[in-house]
Order: sequence, then C-alpha cells, then structure tokens
Amino acid sequence: MRPVYVAGAAVHPFGKHPGIKAADLGYAAVRDLLARTGITPEQVDAGFGGSTYGGSLLAQRVLQRVGVSGQPVYTVENACASGAAAVHLGWQLVATGQADCVVAFGADNLTGFGGGTLPLTTGDIEIEQGMVMPAAYAMRAQRYLHDFGAAPEALSAVSVKNRRNGAANPRAHFQGEVSPADVAGSRPIADPLRLLHCCPNSDGGAAVLLCSAEIAAQLPTPAVRIRASAVRSGRFHTGYRDMTWPEITARTAKAAYAMAGLAPSDVDIVELHDAFAIAELLHAEALGLADRGQAHKAIVAGEFDRDGRVAVSPSGGLLSRGHPVGATGATQICEAYWQLTGQAGDLQVPGAEVALTHVTGGGIFGVDNGACAVHILTTD
Amino acid sequence: MTTVETVGGEWIRRDGDNVTLTITRCHACDARWFPPRDVCSHCASTDVHDEPTGDRGVVYASTVVRAGPAAYRPPYVLSYVDIDGVRVLAHGGTGEAFAPGTPVRLGIGEIGRTDAGPLMSYVITAEDGAR
Ligand SMILES: [Zn+2]
Repeated sequence: MRPVYVAGAAVHPFGKHPGIKAADLGYAAVRDLLARTGITPEQVDAGFGGSTYGGSLLAQRVLQRVGVSGQPVYTVENACASGAAAVHLGWQLVATGQADCVVAFGADNLTGFGGGTLPLTTGDIEIEQGMVMPAAYAMRAQRYLHDFGAAPEALSAVSVKNRRNGAANPRAHFQGEVSPADVAGSRPIADPLRLLHCCPNSDGGAAVLLCSAEIAAQLPTPAVRIRASAVRSGRFHTGYRDMTWPEITARTAKAAYAMAGLAPSDVDIVELHDAFAIAELLHAEALGLADRGQAHKAIVAGEFDRDGRVAVSPSGGLLSRGHPVGATGATQICEAYWQLTGQAGDLQVPGAEVALTHVTGGGIFGVDNGACAVHILTTD
Repeated sequence: MTTVETVGGEWIRRDGDNVTLTITRCHACDARWFPPRDVCSHCASTDVHDEPTGDRGVVYASTVVRAGPAAYRPPYVLSYVDIDGVRVLAHGGTGEAFAPGTPVRLGIGEIGRTDAGPLMSYVITAEDGAR
C-alpha cells in the first residue's frame, strides 16, 4: 500500500442549526474544503459521505452541488462511526492506488428530533424495554466505579477538562467552561450520569481531502500522513461480557498501532469518543493511554490535559464540541490535521507530531458498540 | 378494552410464582443466547436447543433512568442481570440502582404504559435480605 495524506480539512461549526438540513451542513464543509485546497471537481476520483440520520444518497446530494457528479460516490452508515468509516473507505482507495484524490465527509442534523435522548431505531428487545444510550453508559459507569474504586468526581473531571478545551474552539457546540460544582449540580439523567456528563445532540458537518503524495505536493495546503486506518465491528454475544473494557476499541487500536508501527506512548494528542464522561476513562484505557483501572486517577491528576502527558480531546471532545453523529469521526480528523499542521490556534498543543482519533458507533443489542474506527496521523 | 403487550413474552416461562426465561444453548461451542435463536451466532452451528434458565440471577450493573421515553414513566430502574450464562436487561426495584452483585429473582411486572394499555415484561426483585 502507498502513503495516504490528508491535505485539507473543513468544518461547518457544530451547534443547534434547526434550519439547516444535514445535506446543507455537509455541503458547507465540502464547499469550504474545495475552496481551501483549490481542488477542482474533475480531480476528485471518488466521494464518501457518512451520515446516520441524513437520509438516502446524502453523499450524492452533497457532492453533486460542487460538481462531483458521475464519479463513484457512496453514502456510509455506521452510526456514530459513519464519518470515520467514510474516511477509512476513502483511505482504502488511495492506499491501494485506485484513486489519487478522494473527498470524505460526515454530516448530521439531530435538532430535528427535538430534545431528550436520541431515538434508537433498531427495535431490539432492550429498546422495547426502554433502553437508552445514557442508561447503557450509566451502567458501565456504575460498574467501573465499583470495580476500580473510582469516585464520581473523576467523571466530572472529564467534563470540566473537555468543556475547558472546547471553550477555545470556535467550531464547538458549547464554548463555555463549567466547574465541578456545575457538573455535580446539573440535572440527573441516568445515575450516576448527570446532564453535563453527556454530550449534546448537535448539528454539523466536516470534510477532509485524502490524496496521494503527488497530489499533496501540488496543493497550497500542508499535508499530514495517515499512518493507520482501522475499522472493526463489535463481537456479538449475550453472555457475561466485561462492560468496563471496550474490547472493540482495544482490538481496533491494536490493529492501528501495528499498522503505524507506533505505540500508545508515541501519541501526542487523541480525539476520542467521549459521548459520555465515563467513555473517556474506558476508551483511554483500551487505547493504552492509561493502565487498566487507572484512567480515573490520570484524569484527576491532569495527565489528559492539553499540557498534560497526552492531550485527550484538546478540541473539547464530544462533550463540548457536540455530537452530530455522522460528522463526529470526520471532524476528529480535521482537528488532528489542524493540530499537526500548527493551525489549531488557541487549541494548539505545541509540538504535536502524532495524533490518534477514535470513534465508536452505536449501542445495539449484544455488543457494546457496533463499529469502531481508529486513525493515526503523523506530521510526516 | 385494554390490550396487554408483553415484551419478550414468547420467551418467558411462568409456573405459578416461578418465572424463568427460554435461552438457546449451542452443543457445538456451548455458547448461550437470549433471546433464543436457531443458529449459533458464534459458530453458526444449527445443533442448538432451547432450555429454561433458573429463576434467580445476579445484578451486573444498574441505573435509574431519569430522562427517557415517556412510555416507561421515568424514573425507572434498569439493570443488567446475569442468569445461567446470559445477561439480560430488566426493569425492577424502586428509587435507586441495585448495587453490582445483588442477588435477584425473576418475576413479571408492568414496565410501562402506552395508549394501548400496560406494557409487561420480566422484571427483577431483590432476594429477601438483599438490597
Ligand atoms: Zn456455537
């Protein structure tokens, strides 16, 4: 396989955009991406668009508006990992020499559902019993606190850190800091999780340009290399699985580290799937950023701060940036791109050379998550 | 007229006060499945058969859902319960979450209510003396 580069990134700011459809959010990001890179429609060999709620043929509806029409185009649905899956498929085409230049994006608009917990649509027995995503993560949180003697304050420390990071991110849904007392005093959602332990349902779009070395060299924008792109599905069973160990993340990350020839200790910044505060602790351990059962100590000690041992979600993560599900994986790549090219502004982690992005998709019956994607990007 | 819908009703076995669930055991790999199935989802063997669980389990994790679908009338307690090789989700209890490790007993109860009437399913109660 040949090297694949990210040579451009663009995001439609996340937030509540009730009047803007998913296709319009994706279009805004893709139009901006082409403007920034100067790529013409004829240069685009293929397009992939990730979305969960954006409707049929979203990728076509977005890309045809900027002249990418006639080429192979796919709309990808992998729940919260849809955007990252779109990037992965684009990476495959470039890595295998089937394409030189691919647009990959993600977009979703969740405002249309109104407030409250996201509707789960797969109709399995747990959903028929009233299962909602916060409840699944709440039970994982209860068991984690129980097994490792962690205090609920560790969960709040995740929210405080990520809201602090997001306060400096102009693309984030929430751009204000919160205190531990704010988190502890927010409305209970599913014990022990409170409102500020949960990411918001947001609207947004994000797009990246994936290309060969030859194309990257011709563009005015800097490029970073994708060292690894891995996607895995959840292992289905209805037995006694350990819900404090997201093995899908561990398995996907192991494949990505092997592909990149890098170890967790090499990583400078991580954008991970903190849909709920407990998720940062679980996934940080599964990604090898902390020892098993120790992430709750690492977060409290500031090891995941922007100036800590490893910067976890310097963009603010899902807790601050928001979670328009299909757009999340793509926007993580954008944030990593800006970090590695020194364009992250107030979010910049000085000297960042290795970035890892991680997103898991969907709570469906019998698996902790239906899909997981891990990307590792480097400055060269 | 009120319709009673029972979630998972086809897999609930009731014998007086004794409530158990139907699970599938695979003879090729010994995996166990709930809800039951005709092909093992681990090894794809069709050498499977259905059998009943016992009527008691142990809570793996639990939460009080305070924001959720109105039909289930939040707050409601949800728990993952380990029973004879399968982990099932169940309503039950009141007020607060069960502690991990709590021994519980299966029963049948109302888990919600829709315009059509009550929504029934298997539920759990703490065994005597357990909390
Ligand atoms: Zn089997």
